[in-house]
Amino acid sequence: MAAASLIRSAFSGLLRKSTTIKTPVACRLFTVALQQKYHTVKTIANLYNTSDLQNGVSRSRQYATGPVRKVTPQDIADRVIKKPQFVRNYSHGPPLTIDIIKSRVLLVLQLFDKVNPEKLSLESHFIQDLGLDSLDHVEVIMAMEDEFGFEIPDGDAERLLKPKDIVQYICDKEDIFE
Amino acid sequence: MSAIGPKSQILALYKCLLRESQKFSSYNIRSYAIRRVRDAFKENKSLSDGKAINNEIKFAKENLEIIKRQTIIGNMYQTDKLVIENIH
Repeated sequence: MAAASLIRSAFSGLLRKSTTIKTPVACRLFTVALQQKYHTVKTIANLYNTSDLQNGVSRSRQYATGPVRKVTPQDIADRVIKKPQFVRNYSHGPPLTIDIIKSRVLLVLQLFDKVNPEKLSLESHFIQDLGLDSLDHVEVIMAMEDEFGFEIPDGDAERLLKPKDIVQYICDKEDIFE
Repeated sequence: MSAIGPKSQILALYKCLLRESQKFSSYNIRSYAIRRVRDAFKENKSLSDGKAINNEIKFAKENLEIIKRQTIIGNMYQTDKLVIENIH
């Protein structure tokens, strides 16, 4: 309201008074207009700067005057190193044969801390020959599940009492014949 | 484990407890849980009293529920892996 009355008085003065007062009045008018515009310009500039931040990634473009953020070598390194996380492998795993399955089963058993690797063979019975109890047997079966990537139901696990049985069971599951 | 009836049930419980314990994201808690499950089952291996066995089964089931809940909560508040763990 104050600005409006100011303008009105300025205009009436402009019409009434001679040309000598014209210049300061015009200057005054211009300042008032600029002051009114100032807030609008400021909010627009702010909006532009914030819209630069998309998806939480700040780009280094800045339209307002001020120090421009430089891309450091560290930024580039981060971006390049992060990229290979999304690599997809389209090939399948290594081909399974009976020999590979046998060696993998025996390797898992050799690495099992309660099994004596010297007594171990494909024919040795877990409980009678290797001295494991039923709890250890469960852990052996769990290790086989982890190694070959599928679950062995409890009913089947009970019957797998020799490394040979495990090899045969995995061959049946994976459809591998001699 | 000398009781024949619930033997398969106990073994299934043992497997479940170990599998759930493996899901802890924190290295220390994970290794503690696995060790604790193993030790508890080894300790009570020679129980023959039916009532005592049933009590232990109940205790194991309660703890299985606790482990299931805690693994989920633990995964919500993960920390960085320790240097001794394999980084894949």
